[in-house]
Amino acid sequence: MTRRILIGCGISLMLVFGLATAQDVESVSSDASLAASIAAGAEDEASRDKFRSLDQDVQELKKEVLDLNRDLFLLEEELLFPANSQVAFFISMDVGEYFELDSVNLKIDGKEVSNYLYTEREVGALIRGGVHRMHMANLKTGDHELIAIFTGKGPQARDYRRGATLTFSKGIGAKYLELEITDRVVKQQPEFVIKEWE
Amino acid sequence: MNIKNGLLAFICCALTATSLAGSGLTGQPAPDFALKSASGDNLRLSEYRGNVVMVNFWATWCGPCRQEMPLLDELYSRYERVGFTLLGVNIDDDSRKAMNMISELGVNFPVLFDDRKEVSKLYEVDAMPVTVIIDREGNVRFIHQGYKPGYEEHYLDQVRTLLRE
Repeated sequence: MTRRILIGCGISLMLVFGLATAQDVESVSSDASLAASIAAGAEDEASRDKFRSLDQDVQELKKEVLDLNRDLFLLEEELLFPANSQVAFFISMDVGEYFELDSVNLKIDGKEVSNYLYTEREVGALIRGGVHRMHMANLKTGDHELIAIFTGKGPQARDYRRGATLTFSKGIGAKYLELEITDRVVKQQPEFVIKEWE
Repeated sequence: MNIKNGLLAFICCALTATSLAGSGLTGQPAPDFALKSASGDNLRLSEYRGNVVMVNFWATWCGPCRQEMPLLDELYSRYERVGFTLLGVNIDDDSRKAMNMISELGVNFPVLFDDRKEVSKLYEVDAMPVTVIIDREGNVRFIHQGYKPGYEEHYLDQVRTLLRE
């Protein structure tokens, strides 16, 4: 009888041990998969970080290229148009009801320096208040004659061609001239004025 | 005999490459210009940035231009709605002749007049016709000097490639 009890205890102990071992194995395998998934997550994160830093590098590089381009542009402007002898000509338009701008031709001291054709979009931008730097030049100090010829459509959509002349004195320092197209309501005609910026 | 054939093939290839390679403008930003068009509007190249643009220099006295223009018009009608623009630049002194030829051929693409020859100088045009293909970024990608039957296939391939970019 005692022998039977001993055998029963032995079997139950073995069962308990067996169950415990199986649970251990299960927990070990789940630990391993957890570790693997953590490792994969870390790898993903690392690759994402790497990609992010690469993207940042590219963005920085792009910015540097843009900065360099701007510096080169400014340098080129300074070299080609030294500030002291520089003269810039701007076109502006106010309302534009009596004149539809087509082109502007500039002559300095009898020599044609620029002929600019305006597209519909450019005219629209001028009417909305934009100012266009049409031409830049280097002139000696002294008196110079500017002739600007404006062509386009005048009142009643007729072909219109008008000139404006200005004799200006170029001193030391840069000079800026604005060629302004305005509407003269009383006469129902466009007006072309050349102004010197102070 | 074999050497002779080889030499001929080499010369043919070299000639084709020269006619298709174009000048030093390839790969450079396309020089900007504005010209008066047949419709009366002024058109500026830079306003078409974002489109694939073909600039075709032509003259009324040029036979191959007459052959090529209807084919270019077909290309224009087919790809216009997907961002392709064709600008025909006429270099005649008298734009009336060009207007007559446009209406005679029935082409629909915008035609511009370079009577001062400033734009053709800018693009170093020294043959007739000259076809320049510009990508969406505004860079000259292909230049074709002259026209021979079959060139339109090259134009088609190149335009499609640039549209896909």
